[in-house]
Amino acid sequence: MELAVETTDLTKKYGTLVAVNKLNLKVKSGTIHGFLGPNGAGKTTTIKILVGLLKPDGGRAVVLGEEVQGDNPKARLKIGYMPELPKFPRHLKGWELLDIYGQMYGVPIQERRVRIRRLMEMVGLKGRENDLIGEYSKGMQQRLGIAQALLSEPELVILDEPSLGLDPVGMVEIREIIREVARGGVTVFLSSHLLSEVEQICTHISVIHRGTRLAEGPLREVISKISGSAVLEVEIAEPPDNAIEVIKSLPFISSVLVEGNKLVIETNADEDVRAQISRAITEAGGTIIYMNMKMKSLEEAFMRLIMKAR
Amino acid sequence: MRRRKPRIVEQLWAVVRYELLWNIRKKKFIGMLMAAFAITTLTLALPVILRNMSNMPIESNPDYVISSSGIGGLMIFLFALVTVMNSISGEFESGTIVPLLTKPISRTLILVGKVVAAFITISAAYTLLYVYIVIGGIAIYGPQNNLNLIPLCVLGDLLSTFVWMSIILAIGSLTKNTVLTAVTAVIIFLAMNMGASIISVFTESAWILHYFPGNGATGYLKIPGQTTTYTVGGISTGTDNITKMIIQYILHPSANVTYIKVELGGRPQGIPLKEIYSEQLSLVLFRSIAVAIAYISALIFLTWYALKRAQILE
Repeated sequence: MELAVETTDLTKKYGTLVAVNKLNLKVKSGTIHGFLGPNGAGKTTTIKILVGLLKPDGGRAVVLGEEVQGDNPKARLKIGYMPELPKFPRHLKGWELLDIYGQMYGVPIQERRVRIRRLMEMVGLKGRENDLIGEYSKGMQQRLGIAQALLSEPELVILDEPSLGLDPVGMVEIREIIREVARGGVTVFLSSHLLSEVEQICTHISVIHRGTRLAEGPLREVISKISGSAVLEVEIAEPPDNAIEVIKSLPFISSVLVEGNKLVIETNADEDVRAQISRAITEAGGTIIYMNMKMKSLEEAFMRLIMKAR
Repeated sequence: MRRRKPRIVEQLWAVVRYELLWNIRKKKFIGMLMAAFAITTLTLALPVILRNMSNMPIESNPDYVISSSGIGGLMIFLFALVTVMNSISGEFESGTIVPLLTKPISRTLILVGKVVAAFITISAAYTLLYVYIVIGGIAIYGPQNNLNLIPLCVLGDLLSTFVWMSIILAIGSLTKNTVLTAVTAVIIFLAMNMGASIISVFTESAWILHYFPGNGATGYLKIPGQTTTYTVGGISTGTDNITKMIIQYILHPSANVTYIKVELGGRPQGIPLKEIYSEQLSLVLFRSIAVAIAYISALIFLTWYALKRAQILE
């Protein structure tokens, strides 16, 4: 699979502080890739290097096949970027800003008009196009930020904390927009503090801490590697002695805990393994009364990963 | 997906629009324009009012407009200040530089667009002002001579303004702080003006001022066939006064400029004045234009260099 973003030993220092430390990232094309890390981990710095706002001190970053080293307009042509809490000139009207930005991307005038109308509607700013941005609320500026990031119909959309400052309804709407954009084959690279949000929309994640990558890959795979993928609670009528042994011998089982008639089974498989476990118990002569599966959350895996790194 | 590469002209126009819409909606700029019109109105109306009060008729003066051309140092500086004081630093302070610099447009083109927008804004403002002066001049003093020189006046004042603009842009680009930019610019302006007056009047080193922006050395025009008195009619020879020099040069091509010095503790009677040296007006004018262009080029280059190297941390 082609890579939309690839960094190799990317390094950025602020004086003596190493914000990004030999970071290696791989973002596959067509994925929704979450970029996670605690405060100060180097997420925004990395993103700023990718969009040309900062120049790396070492290593390299390639975005959509273009090397980014500071000011390279060509590399930015196919990228849509929304900064964290974006600020736009207060003296411009919403549509004027999008029209001017569209012109910078070389979008023809008629096409700009169509896109602006569609995007303003999409982000919920329809009817406010002619208002000065200075009169927009923070949430509205955030929505305008999404609209301007999608304006050029980019191949890669980079969103830095897209839900920051939005109300719950706004957050749901933004998630839906991101999914919609990704359905069209666009790669979305987003940083977020909201792990539940990342879990809901991202297919892949990278976790960084102190500027270094801790984990990367498909979301469920990363979670199961760190903390197992799921916990099954199974209640059996009369547990046959050999049932526990049979379950333990299954290749995707991490641990089995017996609490009377109840078994707490931790698995590390990426897929749903309830059918295999149920079959194993039945074949061993057991009768299942109750079964419940709980997937391991990203939050749990994230916390475990970060605590270990500290 | 096939993507059309944006044309440079198209991108440049986008930045110019971005900046122009800002300039014409800036309260500071609108205020400055209104103040300029108010001052011009006062200049036009005051003699009329005074003469009316003393029942004196207004004599026609066909040279009124051309002799009062040249917008003047303070106004030039203030126009430059309100137009570009936050054009770079303001973007950094408000964070609007982030979405701007992440568009597929080079920083060089962004600067060029901002300079072009400033050029258009100031040209429009000065054209309006001159049209107003011409209409007012004709209404009060009758038909005017040499009105064909008015476009040159606009150009001359533009060049003077661009010297200050490039100074302000460079400070803004280096400090990325609007207040600091404005304060530093005002200090430079005052220092240049006060310094120029002191050096020009009391020392024999007026020549130093030929190479600094602003008011420059004060000299006296010696027009063949006319007597020159050193009490009236001094002409500033700095970059702020290019328009006046252009007009004088066109009207009196063979005029000279004489620099004089006040001799403190000199002769007991009269104003103790000493002629230092004379130069041809043509030389003074072209040197002034060359100095202006040199400052503009060097400072715009400095602005570009600082912008190109700027890293956006916040």
